[in-house]
Amino acid sequence: MILTRPSLHELDKQARWLALLMLAIGLHLFEASLPSLGPWFKPGLANLVTLLTLLWMGPKAAVLLAITRVIVGAFFIGTLFTPTFVMSMAGAISAATVMIIAWRYQPAVSLIGISLLAAVAHMLAQFITVETLFIQQSALYYALPPLLLLSTISGWLNGALAMYIAARLP
Amino acid sequence: MRKNSLHTLTGTWADRIILLSCLTLIAVAWLFIHALMASGPAQAAIYYNKTLLATYPLPQTGQASIHFEAMGKLGISEITIDQQGARITSSPCITQQCVLSGAHRHSGDMIACVPNQILVTIRGRSDTQFDAIAE
Repeated sequence: MILTRPSLHELDKQARWLALLMLAIGLHLFEASLPSLGPWFKPGLANLVTLLTLLWMGPKAAVLLAITRVIVGAFFIGTLFTPTFVMSMAGAISAATVMIIAWRYQPAVSLIGISLLAAVAHMLAQFITVETLFIQQSALYYALPPLLLLSTISGWLNGALAMYIAARLP
Repeated sequence: MRKNSLHTLTGTWADRIILLSCLTLIAVAWLFIHALMASGPAQAAIYYNKTLLATYPLPQTGQASIHFEAMGKLGISEITIDQQGARITSSPCITQQCVLSGAHRHSGDMIACVPNQILVTIRGRSDTQFDAIAE
């Protein structure tokens, strides 16, 4: 079996993905240290990196980045395999999936709309996960509207930021 | 179309339709839940997973505060209910997000400790407009 050296293009792609992963993990840790604006609400900056990865490197790289970011981030925070980790993972995978679907099938939707949908999907997935697996009380959903409003606002702002970055770093 | 839309930070027409749809759905859900939750005197309900452990009225000025120990999956979560609202004062969970979230008194507010599977919800009409989230 002959091992072939990866091409420079391939190495460059891997290096870019790793740089994005490091950025996503850093933002994940930063967000975890912020004071809470509500149960399970985060500004979604780490999802912004997932969106940029989708734009620059495609769906596979984006999903892989989202999953790896949650695992490594939880390892550093000390929540690996806890309910917080499960919620985080459910949110990240849902957000990435919605991003990919909107990106592939809705060309009229820009990064702002994709980010908004992903933020809403992230929040909904967290609530459904908690209600299904940990606290089986429908009363949980009473807190959902204000948190969805915050998600909608942060999703729009993150999308605008993603557009700004994407326009300058093609 | 997507590349052209990079020039703007205001989104496309499709983005604005999505935003409007989301805001409408949120507003309708919020009004419905508020109407459902805001009737009757203000009270805090404490749950462990599926089980309702206790329900207490929120104390008014001059009334004694209430302390409750809720046995969760990891151990005991201590809950205090006083004039400021309901709050979890100690919890065996790692992140302590439930403790850090402070006191809640508005109808529809909740404190959830997911690792310990404890949920505290507020329902009913509260006299004091105290915003625990902005505290």
